[in-house]
Amino acid sequence: MSKPHYDREHHAKMASGIGDPQCFKGKAGKAKFKEGDRVRIIDLPDLFYTRTMTYTRGAVGTVVRLVYESPAAEDEAFGNEDSPEWFYSVVFKQKDLWPEYSDLYANDSLETEFPERYLESA
Amino acid sequence: MSSSTREEVLQHLNMVGQLQPALHKQTHAPAPDQIDHALWRAYTRTPHDIGGEPDVPIVYEEKEEEQWELNTFATCECLAWRGVWTAEERRRKQNVDVGQTQYLGLPYYGRWLLTAARILVDKQYCTLTELVNKIDEVKKRHV
Repeated sequence: MSKPHYDREHHAKMASGIGDPQCFKGKAGKAKFKEGDRVRIIDLPDLFYTRTMTYTRGAVGTVVRLVYESPAAEDEAFGNEDSPEWFYSVVFKQKDLWPEYSDLYANDSLETEFPERYLESA
Repeated sequence: MSSSTREEVLQHLNMVGQLQPALHKQTHAPAPDQIDHALWRAYTRTPHDIGGEPDVPIVYEEKEEEQWELNTFATCECLAWRGVWTAEERRRKQNVDVGQTQYLGLPYYGRWLLTAARILVDKQYCTLTELVNKIDEVKKRHV
């Protein structure tokens, strides 16, 4: 029986001299959302690894920027870089995330990034 | 989806706040009917996703890195530079794969160091036997 062999340095080869996420530029296809779109965060199963904070799930926010193309954390964390997707910076009202948030600070907001798979039109 | 998801998510955050590792309470291998969907989600959630969990305040302390912590950081960056892992693989291993008890119980750079050893074994750069023998040898040098 022989050991499994895989290219442990495939990601380093891809990114060397270019950088990450720059090495994924142009590989995610057409972006589904644009700046200003209202989006709801989808509550995908949060098993093994994710960087989509639970407290954002089901909440509605506004796309403020398309930030870069990259594999989602769920893929990259296991060495899978074949399916880069668009990442979006989304801003939420704090009141929409935390029901008990004081009305005194109704204008407070929170901005964070999501891969496209977590967004749906709201 | 929105209102029921929000309700579920906020209840979930309350539940995981109760999941601090409890050394005084035995919960060994519960029967399947003792674990409902909400408890399943709470148990299997990724321990690094602590935003919104109810918790007690902790004291903020400024602390300079110790030499071993700086060495650990440099080691982990070299592993990335040589393509052994990406930052995302490292974060998965050191923040999630360690589990709730180690995530909350070990020092920050302790988890980095543990994970540097783990990736070398997982990706077969060394065997666990070699690692254990080396730790044993070093320990004996320092008794």
